[in-house]
Amino acid sequence: MRSRRQLQVLALATAVVVLAFLIVLPHQYGSTNTTRWAQALYIGVAAMGLNLLTGYNGQVSIGHGAFFGLGAYTSALLVNQHGWQFLPTLLVAGPLCFLVGVAVGFPALRVKGLYLALVTLGLAVLFPDLTKHYVHVTGGTNLVAMTGSELAPPAWVPTSVSAIGRDDQWAYYVTLAIAIGLFLAAMFIIRSRFGRALIAVRDHEAAAATVGINTSFVKVSAFAISALYAGLAGSCSVLVDHLANADKVQTFQISIEFLVAVVIGGTATVVGPLVGGWLVVFLQHWISDSLPKHVGSISVLKRTLANPAASPAIFGIILILFVFVLPDGLVGGVRRLVSRIGRGDVNDIQPSTTPLTT
Amino acid sequence: MPLLDVEDIRVEFGGIVALADLSFSIDEGQICALIGPNGAGKTTLFNCVSRVYEPSSGQITFDGKDVLALPPHRVVRIGIARTFQNLALFPALTVLENVMVGAHAQHESSAVRRRDARQLLERLSLSDLAERRAVGLPYGTLKRIEIARALAARPRLLMLDEPAAGLTHSEVDELGEMIRSVRDEFALTVLLVEHHMAMVMAISDKVVVLDFGSKIAEGLPADIRDNPKVIEAYLGTPVS
Ligand SMILES: Nc1ncnc2c1ncn2[C@@H]1O[C@H](COP(=O)(O)OP(=O)(O)OP(=O)(O)O)[C@@H](O)[C@H]1O
Ligand SMILES: [Mg+2]
Repeated sequence: MRSRRQLQVLALATAVVVLAFLIVLPHQYGSTNTTRWAQALYIGVAAMGLNLLTGYNGQVSIGHGAFFGLGAYTSALLVNQHGWQFLPTLLVAGPLCFLVGVAVGFPALRVKGLYLALVTLGLAVLFPDLTKHYVHVTGGTNLVAMTGSELAPPAWVPTSVSAIGRDDQWAYYVTLAIAIGLFLAAMFIIRSRFGRALIAVRDHEAAAATVGINTSFVKVSAFAISALYAGLAGSCSVLVDHLANADKVQTFQISIEFLVAVVIGGTATVVGPLVGGWLVVFLQHWISDSLPKHVGSISVLKRTLANPAASPAIFGIILILFVFVLPDGLVGGVRRLVSRIGRGDVNDIQPSTTPLTT
Repeated sequence: MPLLDVEDIRVEFGGIVALADLSFSIDEGQICALIGPNGAGKTTLFNCVSRVYEPSSGQITFDGKDVLALPPHRVVRIGIARTFQNLALFPALTVLENVMVGAHAQHESSAVRRRDARQLLERLSLSDLAERRAVGLPYGTLKRIEIARALAARPRLLMLDEPAAGLTHSEVDELGEMIRSVRDEFALTVLLVEHHMAMVMAISDKVVVLDFGSKIAEGLPADIRDNPKVIEAYLGTPVS
């Protein structure tokens, strides 16, 4: 058991270093980069929620962009139309998404696997239409655009956190705080009786019921909790991007990004989705902005990369490679590596079961 | 009053009658074996008691309570736990966590749950495996883990579906011993489905024989052994 102890110390040390880095980050980087890190954090938050549902509970959703959009709209409209400060809108957006999650979770009990994926996809398709019809401030579009002053930090925030012209720092720190809070909550959930029930229901539903787990309650709760995570992520996106956008393409694409973040970060690991969120945001940025600079003067490559289809295509290829090289995601892979170094064998650490195949 | 009372339970799948108005009962403290050829309906009865299947008619009463009025997750709360014919452990959880999940319906803190689970593992000689994932272990071991998980619920009735299947000869003997001793230690009543006749004859207080969903015999192990109907159901193979 000594090696287990050492691993815990290692994990704690890593957490401290990462946290310290995340806290000083905006003081080292300019606003563009800080904003990009904030985007990585909110994608990670939504992915953490989706992981509770899909990774730990085995219910696949490709429609969580709808909950993200609902959170974003709620915050944006309260600020833009009703003159609210940003922070209190979280208290509305979170519970609202939780309740809608309950409402969606019940019918979801009736379908499984691919059918569930299809039903959740329906959510992502439906949501933009609903907002277009019922939210009129957008003038027939799906956009609520906002100004920096509407989202400015309240007066009690020290100016070091939000220097003039740097309200990206405020947005970043709010998102970071929410990410840390929800990360700790996910850790707590997974180690609790409820967390074991989530996994038990995924692994063997009939056996879970015979040990006394109310499987319907667990599944609906998982839906509601994941919707809450996605909704708060959506609220944060308004603060970070000064925009709530729920058009069809955006809602669908971000739903997929959450799923990608879960899978490449590490399904059914608590940190995986945060790492995955970072990868999703920074890989895409690297492909579209940095990669063309690296190819230098090779004109064939340059022309190829200038094609607007090139970035998504390269991203797609990287994803495919990822799944082949690290089937249990980055965190799963690192975990196996560490245990191989620490113990000389990996037999008792299997890759986490991928729920997508169950 | 019997602890478990099964009355006229009928289950049909399409045209197949899996259970044809089956009735029998078990008294508190008994080890009752439910035997019969493949497809006789033994597992189907387990699934009725644990509310996986809905019988089209009949009644199941446990300790005076109507089992068929309960949702599946409530059955364990009145004191009924089971194992599965095909393993049904939670492979992503450790052996210890599997046993902790067995105590899901118990209202106690995680620390108590963990301590009790460790004690149970100790009792069933599984302590060394506590931190291992419940997958890729020898079959007999996995079956024992399932029994530990069922015991964690502190049941009054323990239903075991073919616990000896896939075990070696010496393991079967140990299992028989173990079932008797946990019955005494935890004050259990046991409903045992088993094809391994030597074990059934050695440890049961009572045997119920099913064939094509109907009860064809019921009685002491010694009487069942010589019952011509039972011998015929097993296609002439003498019940040794
Ligand atoms: N879910 C189901 N759907 C359709 N038929 C079923 C189902 N479950 C059981 N049956 C049928 O009911 C009958 C009884 O099956 P059951 O599994 O109860 O037998 P068993 O006595 O447990 O047999 P074995 O000793 O092989 O485990 C069989 O004919 C089986 O094919
Ligand atoms: Mg059977």
